[in-house]
Amino acid sequence: MLIGIVFIISVGAFYLIHLLPGDPAAVILGTGDSPQNRARLFKELGLNKPILEQYFVWIKNVLHGNLGTSFISQTSVWSTIKSALPIDVEIIVLSQILAFAVAIPTAMVSARKPDGWLDRLLGATSFTLLSIPSFVVIVLLVLFIAIKLGVPHTGVSSYVSLGQDWVVNLESLALPSFTLALGSFVVYYRVLRSDLIATLQEEYITMARSKGISQRRIMWRHAFRPSSVALLGTAGVNIGGLLAGGFIVQYLLSIPGLGYTLIQSIGLSDYLVVQGIVLVVSVGVILINFAFDLIINIVDPRISRE
Amino acid sequence: MSDATTLLVVKDLATTFQTPSGPLPAVGGVSFTLKENETLGIVGESGSGKTVLSRTIMGLQPRRNVEVTGSVLLNGFEVVGASEEAKRAIWGLEVAMVFQDPMTSLNPVMRIGKQIDEILRVRLKMDRHAAKARAIELLELVGIPSPAERYGVFPGELSGGMRQRVVIATALAGSPKLLMADEPTTGLDVTIQAQILNLLQSVKDQMSMSVVLVTHDLGVVATRTSRIIVMYAGRIVEMGTTRDVFARHRMPYTRALLEGSPKVSNPSHTRLLAIPGRPPNLLDLPQGCAFAPRCSFATDICRKERPELEPSFEDGHAFACWNPLPVSQGVPA
Repeated sequence: MLIGIVFIISVGAFYLIHLLPGDPAAVILGTGDSPQNRARLFKELGLNKPILEQYFVWIKNVLHGNLGTSFISQTSVWSTIKSALPIDVEIIVLSQILAFAVAIPTAMVSARKPDGWLDRLLGATSFTLLSIPSFVVIVLLVLFIAIKLGVPHTGVSSYVSLGQDWVVNLESLALPSFTLALGSFVVYYRVLRSDLIATLQEEYITMARSKGISQRRIMWRHAFRPSSVALLGTAGVNIGGLLAGGFIVQYLLSIPGLGYTLIQSIGLSDYLVVQGIVLVVSVGVILINFAFDLIINIVDPRISRE
Repeated sequence: MSDATTLLVVKDLATTFQTPSGPLPAVGGVSFTLKENETLGIVGESGSGKTVLSRTIMGLQPRRNVEVTGSVLLNGFEVVGASEEAKRAIWGLEVAMVFQDPMTSLNPVMRIGKQIDEILRVRLKMDRHAAKARAIELLELVGIPSPAERYGVFPGELSGGMRQRVVIATALAGSPKLLMADEPTTGLDVTIQAQILNLLQSVKDQMSMSVVLVTHDLGVVATRTSRIIVMYAGRIVEMGTTRDVFARHRMPYTRALLEGSPKVSNPSHTRLLAIPGRPPNLLDLPQGCAFAPRCSFATDICRKERPELEPSFEDGHAFACWNPLPVSQGVPA
């Protein structure tokens, strides 16, 4: 099943990029060069072969762990991905920690008194956040925090890896992480809130109450776990989406993550880099969802028993 | 028994739910007392207010859109009007509840041992090992085979009867003085029902508790209670010693309930007498006696004025009826 999905994605990734206008020869040689030179370069790069054959050459190398070498920069695709991927991972991890840390307590506050003034306030806030796209949020944040407040290293391409200088690193990734966290927070808050409200109606919550334990303990020990199945499922899909969809934020801030690299490579018709990134991201998305499915089975033993 | 101290005094208790269609009087004008080590049966059809009454007695009614008036004095603690925090002090330790449906009353994603030893750890501040040892003891007490291994299972791995034993063990964990058993056998097979009832009886004797046994089945209370309260539409319509309620009841509703419950002594294929009509809509109660529309003895006054609970014989027997049955009409227990 997993292999099947990856195969389909590999075909799609390969075929779609070849459908786009433009080709690497045009980028390397410029548009004014002679057809002879173009033909020679095509042959050199292996682009003169039938497309099906090109695909099999590529997939055979991929299966041997070789993603190829960029036509343009002549560096190996794998090393390009290896230097960009940690940025994506870090932004996603930071944004998810932030989103969960805010969404879980606020959902509990809301669910305690549904339709109370706090619940209404949080509901209205979350809807407002939901309706502002991330590219607007990031531009506003850059404007106010990076430019008006003059916080250094924010929102500019001053990326430094975590190992080199973690303060500068966190500063430069704070804005994109925060932006992605906002979108995730809204989704998590809404999913968890409605599940908590349903769970709190259950008889076992009344039974927990009859033991004389605190409201706080009832929330965390009795209501949270059975209410978190949909939350985890949503998080799996959402994080996969962030891996693929954090591109806009990266592009706007010139942060050299996978998204930024991918968009640049598409512009340069750098076929092998694009194919490599799409394949790696797809496998990542599948693995993340698989991992969340496993977590859900542990959190709710009823699911694996059925 | 007459020398025993009084554990519970309920006076003029009323529970009213605020619903979108108006106030719903689920329980009204309920007064009774319960002594230590006594077992009281509360009997009535579905919707007669038994469950609401049992929850109101321990203050466990929903927190919103409910109004409770009257008084419940539980071992000196006034439950009515007490804050949630104040009630937490008595919940689990003074009074505990065995819930109706073990399929829904246990947390499906929490190991049963953890559900039992929660009271021990959080309320009695026992350390983890002592709490676990006590929880296993409790599992053994309620008759769960190989309790040490069952400590770590989830409720879904147990049968209904086993789950109800776990619910009982949980209720017993804090050694309460009063155990509220709300239809503890409704969701179970008939063969399991007797086992659970016998278990309740034996733990009551071992731990010297008082028990309020709520049921719709008079057969359940016949041999296990010393006194019975019969409820209809949220009010007590008859109460007295178990013997009196069975043998010398005066209220036609009580007789209808008795005739509607199967007895082993009946010849086979005896028809059960169903009570005609339906329980009244609590949002739109009839003006007089709530049972009048279904009662074959009803007269004009029954439809105009509600009968109050009047004492009749000794031993606290009382009934609310304008046209009571003659004493000889009783059906022997």
